Amino acid sequence: MDKNKIKIGIIGFGRMGITHYSIINSHPNVEIVSVADTSKTILSILKKFNKELNVYTDYKELIDESKPDAIIISTPPNLHYPIIKYAYERGVHVFCEKPFTANKQQAEELTNLFANSNLVNQIGFAARYGDVLNKAKELIDQKVIGDAIRFKGEMFSCAIIKKTSGTNWRDNEENGGGVVYEMSSHMIDLINYFFGEPDNVAGTVRNKVFSKNVDDLVSTTLIYNNGLVGTLYINWSDESYRKPMISLEVFGSKGKIIADFYGYKIFLSKENKELNLRKGWNTFYLTDVYKPTPFYVRGGEFTNQLYNFVELILGNQKTNLCDFAEALKTERIIDLMFKNSITINN
Amino acid sequence: MNQIDKIVFGDNQFFGINHMSQEKAQQLSEQFYKIQNIFNVYDIAIDCGIKAIMLNSNQRAIDICDYFRKNESKYSDLNWYPSIPYPHKYANIISEKGIFPAINELLFSNNTASGVLGMIAKGSSAIFTKDVIKLMQMLIDAEVKMFKGLNIKVIFLQNVVTDLLLGFGIKEVFEEYCSYIENKYKVIPGLITLNLPYCITKLKEWNIKNVVICSSINKIGFTMSPNIASYEEIILNNNPNEYQIMAMSTLASGAIPPIEAYEYINNQNIQSVVFGASSKKHIEETVRLLKG
Repeated sequence: MDKNKIKIGIIGFGRMGITHYSIINSHPNVEIVSVADTSKTILSILKKFNKELNVYTDYKELIDESKPDAIIISTPPNLHYPIIKYAYERGVHVFCEKPFTANKQQAEELTNLFANSNLVNQIGFAARYGDVLNKAKELIDQKVIGDAIRFKGEMFSCAIIKKTSGTNWRDNEENGGGVVYEMSSHMIDLINYFFGEPDNVAGTVRNKVFSKNVDDLVSTTLIYNNGLVGTLYINWSDESYRKPMISLEVFGSKGKIIADFYGYKIFLSKENKELNLRKGWNTFYLTDVYKPTPFYVRGGEFTNQLYNFVELILGNQKTNLCDFAEALKTERIIDLMFKNSITINN
Repeated sequence: MNQIDKIVFGDNQFFGINHMSQEKAQQLSEQFYKIQNIFNVYDIAIDCGIKAIMLNSNQRAIDICDYFRKNESKYSDLNWYPSIPYPHKYANIISEKGIFPAINELLFSNNTASGVLGMIAKGSSAIFTKDVIKLMQMLIDAEVKMFKGLNIKVIFLQNVVTDLLLGFGIKEVFEEYCSYIENKYKVIPGLITLNLPYCITKLKEWNIKNVVICSSINKIGFTMSPNIASYEEIILNNNPNEYQIMAMSTLASGAIPPIEAYEYINNQNIQSVVFGASSKKHIEETVRLLKG
């Protein structure tokens, strides 16, 4: 084993676990030493192709026996808490898929634990690593559209377009399933990233359309004490979207900006000579802000995010774009949404 | 290695795929709602001298393949470059059901009755003995089935799958894929990747040759990982007898004007270009610029 490499264990080998394995295995300073999953079939397939890999059905054994420097957690969210706590006790760096936990108190406890340690801790809100959204944030931070007054955040996908049986973990809110935890958490996190944590939440309405036990659509209003207000609308049952789509529109005192994965448009009430922006509409595409990613699998965001985690451990990067303390903000907002919401059964 | 066509006509425009704009994608999907409109564009492309078509194995490709089979006499000298699978179908079913139920559904639904029986006979042993290679071969067969009877030149593995597997770094999977395509279908194996330097380096390390590699290649380095300089270096030093290279995304989703884009492409050591367009003007222009 190469002593200069970080040893990583992956816990949970579903869609994201598989993606993370592929991405981080491309990093020259990483060695994946172990994988844990409840599916013995998955583990035996992995073992068949990689004889040196240690495989476990118990995450505790993975941590104790394969002694990774860091773990990547991609289990259903209700398992995040015990796994992260165990990793903390053993001094292991943690990257964990979103949402952080399926319960605000657990997220608070874990955040406090890691705040008093030197362990790198990160939650997989990958949208923070998108080139276009980061450019939009930069422009908003520079006050190019003046003071932000209103925003509108939307996300769509065609993930659930048929009645579900209710057996999958995704169909259970206590497990962290449902459109609020799984999908709207991305948007809420993005709002936290752009504007900080909202002070209040109002008018949360959830629709149950196809899922047996959880919501498929949600809308809500986020309110800041400084006067900024925004609405969110998230729908994972919209068949008109071939691929997941995220868009954020921000109205400010000097103009507005509309950003999605593909590009951004700025409308300005006055020309901005410094940034070479016209009065009126200015359109830019992903290609205008694109930064190459070291290894491309399913979008650069996932790679940039996981490489950020590894570079933080190696000491090559200092800025953690989404540590536990950041992700806790989203847990608090979701908690507020759940406390006061109306559910409609369609 | 059999030489591939220098110009290949792609299919993104037909399936509401546009990497630059959701609105443009929507407009294209309406324009090509009527499948006859797709055939009309193919006819324009063929009139412009196109002799090769790349087509992803999505639902609509089934009807497209049917049409070309039925009109074989009219289209007898076309070469086909299927890419498999259609990844969004897999991604959605996997999220909903988990990996194994998803594979089960993909293999055993949407097949004719006789096909299903044969596949189940093979499939039960494949799944229960955890014979992944066999399973992979069955998935390939299920995807390639719609292209049967067409003159296939290369079978490409779609980039999400190629790149995911490249990251895993498992030599055997690539060896088995390539040999299965060569031996069963008697065509050249192809890999679509957004990590061309990584891909070629790995294939060399594994001594896997005679592969067509299709990758984004454009003047501004868009979706070229890790960076354009690495691409230029590996392309310059590439031996086309080992790996034929096909460029895609040459216009970087429209960010580069065609003249500039193809001037760059024509100066690279590559064997082929795949492009998509939906108007006569753009198809003619592209063919003219690529021929230099």
